[in-house]
Amino acid sequence: MSEHADHISCRDVVALVTDYFERALPAEQLSLFEQHLNFCDGCISYVEQMRLTKELVGRLEEEDVPVEAKDRLLQAFRDWDRS
Amino acid sequence: MIAYKFLREDGAGLFTSFAWPAPGEWVEAPAEECRSGVHACRVGDLPFWVARNLWEVELDGEVYEGRTKVVATRGRLVRRIEQWDEEARDDYVAMCAERAHELAASAGPGWDAVIEPSRPEGPALLGFIAARIAEELDGPEAYYGERASQAGWLVDRLGLRA
Amino acid sequence: MGISGTPVAAVGPTPEELQLVERLRNRDERAFEALVEAFYPLMLRLARQYCSSRAVAEEVVQEAWVGVLKGIDRFEGRSSLKTWVMRIVVNTAMTRSGREARSVPFSAFAGDDDESAVDAERFRGPDDAFPGHWNAYPRDWRTLPEGTLQAKETVDVVREAIDELPPMQRVVILLRDVEGWPAEEVCEALELSEGNQRVLLHRARSAVRKRLEGYLDE
Repeated sequence: MSEHADHISCRDVVALVTDYFERALPAEQLSLFEQHLNFCDGCISYVEQMRLTKELVGRLEEEDVPVEAKDRLLQAFRDWDRS
Repeated sequence: MIAYKFLREDGAGLFTSFAWPAPGEWVEAPAEECRSGVHACRVGDLPFWVARNLWEVELDGEVYEGRTKVVATRGRLVRRIEQWDEEARDDYVAMCAERAHELAASAGPGWDAVIEPSRPEGPALLGFIAARIAEELDGPEAYYGERASQAGWLVDRLGLRA
Repeated sequence: MGISGTPVAAVGPTPEELQLVERLRNRDERAFEALVEAFYPLMLRLARQYCSSRAVAEEVVQEAWVGVLKGIDRFEGRSSLKTWVMRIVVNTAMTRSGREARSVPFSAFAGDDDESAVDAERFRGPDDAFPGHWNAYPRDWRTLPEGTLQAKETVDVVREAIDELPPMQRVVILLRDVEGWPAEEVCEALELSEGNQRVLLHRARSAVRKRLEGYLDE
């Protein structure tokens, strides 16, 4: 945080953005964060970039279960079943 | 209690994108500063939240006073402040820029250079810059002092109830 | 609209999970197959974060499944089944690589402190009129050409960026943002405090954003 506790800098916004999304900022800091976003287009862009990044990460897809792995596992299951 | 609220172009809340219902319709929500409830400005708070559309709002239920905002459990839009138009915004920007230059004259080099390039960004940024320069010169009290003058200008220009 | 700041307790098993557990305890093979279908990909992904190769990761997952079967009769339902299974994977991977989860210092897996979210020179210096403010604003990605963000190449950049993250950052962003787990479940599965989990998530997302910015600015 900058020396003056009545407003925060862009560098602060960059450090706090995840806490902001996680709703983990205490009320006072949250107020300062939003006040800053109100006038700083640079930080609005940055926060939006972080939001879009999270969205894009969410698009990565799962791979399927490889057949050989599944067979081995079923075998393990049957061994367990018998024991 | 009468208070004020800035909304986006489309009538949604600035940070929550909450879509406000038509004027007159009450909205209710538990009040939790910054996270829930109807947030609004006293006239002194206006400069911190300056944005495109200004509305007069009526607050009811429990009202909590924060440092630069109030939070209520109940609120409704009353009327849009028509006088807060393009012209008023430009004049506010000009006023803040002029103040900023005035203050920058007493401050160190480098202050002045930020002001003109910041004009296109709009009223909220210019207001902040003027207040920040005041703070550098005379401390946190001066920051709030400058904000208070900005609020005074808005009250006069827009004919708001102080 | 309102959410309080206090953390929610980790959720227990879903009704579907409880059913599967019952059927598994009754040695129902179909139930096991269903579980494998559901959990295997994530287990492999998770193991992969801790192992040197895919082959080793597959071994770990196999071992973890044995652990699941051995432990299913004792599953108490204090966490969700998914969290419980993933914790077995993590423990198996850690044990196998000869390390105890607790004995490894957090920093070893968390990544460097020096790796800052945004390079210092992007901000105005301490002697500037507005210290800590942007030099040049970051770009508004909403003004990118249509379809850029959705393009396969962009997703590939994201995948690469994640693959290059330090292990714990990779795991957290995987579980939180790819799999969509709530924070409490991730904390439980990985035995992290809320604060640590957030730090890891922050570093991971910041690093991916940086990579994306580099790619998109070309």
